[in-house]
Amino acid sequence: MDLFLQTLLNGLLQSGIYALVASGLALAVGVVGIVNFAHGEFLMLGAFMAWAASAFLGIDPLLSLPIVAVAVFGVGALTYRVSIRHVLLAPELNQMLLTFGLGILLQNLALMLLGGNTRTVTTPYQASSLNIGELSIGGPKAIAFGLAVVVLGALYFTLYRTVLGRQMRAVAQNRRGAQLIGIPVDRVYLIAFGVSCGLAAVAGVLVSVLLFASPTVGLVFALKAFAIIVMAGLGNLTGVLWASVILGLSEALVQTYVPGGGGWSDAVFFLMIFGTLVIRSFRKAA
Amino acid sequence: MGTPASKRQAARKPDITGVALVPLAIFFLLALAFPFLPLGDLGAFLLQIGFFTLVAGIMALSWDILARSGQVSLAHAAFYGLGAYGYALLLKTGLVWSLAMPLAALGAGVVSLLVGAVTMRLSGMYFAIATLAFTEVVRTIIQNLPEDVAGGANGLLVPALLGGNSRGQYLLALLLLALTASVSLAVRTGRLHHAFAAIRQGEETARVLGVSTVRYKLAAFFISSFLAALAGVLYAGKTFFISPLDTFSLANSIAPLTTSIFGGLYTTLGPILGATVLRIAEEALHNVVKNGYLVVYGLVLMLSILWLPRGLMGLFRRGRHGGDL
Repeated sequence: MDLFLQTLLNGLLQSGIYALVASGLALAVGVVGIVNFAHGEFLMLGAFMAWAASAFLGIDPLLSLPIVAVAVFGVGALTYRVSIRHVLLAPELNQMLLTFGLGILLQNLALMLLGGNTRTVTTPYQASSLNIGELSIGGPKAIAFGLAVVVLGALYFTLYRTVLGRQMRAVAQNRRGAQLIGIPVDRVYLIAFGVSCGLAAVAGVLVSVLLFASPTVGLVFALKAFAIIVMAGLGNLTGVLWASVILGLSEALVQTYVPGGGGWSDAVFFLMIFGTLVIRSFRKAA
Repeated sequence: MGTPASKRQAARKPDITGVALVPLAIFFLLALAFPFLPLGDLGAFLLQIGFFTLVAGIMALSWDILARSGQVSLAHAAFYGLGAYGYALLLKTGLVWSLAMPLAALGAGVVSLLVGAVTMRLSGMYFAIATLAFTEVVRTIIQNLPEDVAGGANGLLVPALLGGNSRGQYLLALLLLALTASVSLAVRTGRLHHAFAAIRQGEETARVLGVSTVRYKLAAFFISSFLAALAGVLYAGKTFFISPLDTFSLANSIAPLTTSIFGGLYTTLGPILGATVLRIAEEALHNVVKNGYLVVYGLVLMLSILWLPRGLMGLFRRGRHGGDL
């Protein structure tokens, strides 16, 4: 029974990071209408920035987190300006392949400059753990989950309670209509894409503490984020949260209860994509 | 209403003129002559580059055939790998290579139908995401299968194709590229062309016009995967060793789509031309850029989409009307 509860707890904690990555992706898909295949690379960028700040300047990742988030917001906004903006009206194929190309570029640039090794960030609280009854939680995991909840709270507050958030949702619903009532659509796109990248970077900082920073670390998270937004429905911002929890929990369950589960849990996200698509295509056909 | 008969005739008429066929014929003649040139000491090395250029051409062109129906596949590596593994496993059962080759390709094609049946009823975005995930999962499965089935993470040894005769291997690859090009031309001139173009330009509209979109998209996916698997068989037979990490590498999905866009989307000559240029550039640059060579592919892909959306072919036919040829 304890094993079961511990498994559920681990899955829940893991889902915090998934939700961060996926909500950023959902923002890009929902508001800007771009499936950003380079999303994982912005996560990787955040992870490496946190690692660099820690390794060279001795700044704790939790302190560098806001700076990293703002810096990657800037990178995202710049990316929007120089590339994404020019394909907004182009065929879907061009849009997807542009971000895919960007992802390949960033990933391999990192590989070229930094090599394929993984870099870990060491923190004083790394080995700490929290005990509740029979259950134990790793300190960094708990901190990461808490931060994810705070950042997601701020995101959803912005989306549903502020003018900017209302503008974003208006643009997401109807680009032309939003333009007609005087919403600066281009600016909203820029901010939404920047925030989307910033969210990935926050997740990246947490990943650098929990796991490591490496050129390919982004791809895994991006794939899982894709699974989550597919399950939630492309561009659906609220569905992302529960879909993240479902992915986190199912992965934890597979890891604990399936023999040799470590390898197979990496395939869970695909079952989710496939299952969702099967259900959805049948519902559509009916 | 009442479409004039002449207009319908015009739409049916193959719009590949001799102009487009001549450069293609020249390419194949040059490629055919290549292994018989007196290349001296470098001969074996050049022949190998030539072989992999042809394989890259098959991959790019087969990706392009699918793209014509508006589908972005990020799973070309999966079908390439399924071809390679299918071939290796069929040979292990004692089948002759000439049967194992088409059967492996057929197997990959059947898998593509299964994946496509689920993903192709929804918007193209779902398809792109699902194919990217599919590649990762096929690799995970092959890695996690017991080692005596498919070699696990260590990979499999494959008997050399045609007993290791490199000129023969080259000519076989050329033959398969010619097959791919003929399929591409057949699609381009036939009924499929209009169906694919209609779906690409507006799926809803195409459906209203009576095009059974899912069936045509599945046909495109099947053809494309079948040909990609043939390229995988060539690869397996040439390198006589396959491992999940190399065979299902994302690079094998990236290269064909970049090549095809760089060369010229929706054309037959474009992807072949793109493969030739990019493969030669890759060999030339390999000593300069060692780690992360794919950076070049990422850059070429982005720059092509932003500034050269019609690729190399666009440079030659700037004056001609019809961006979507």
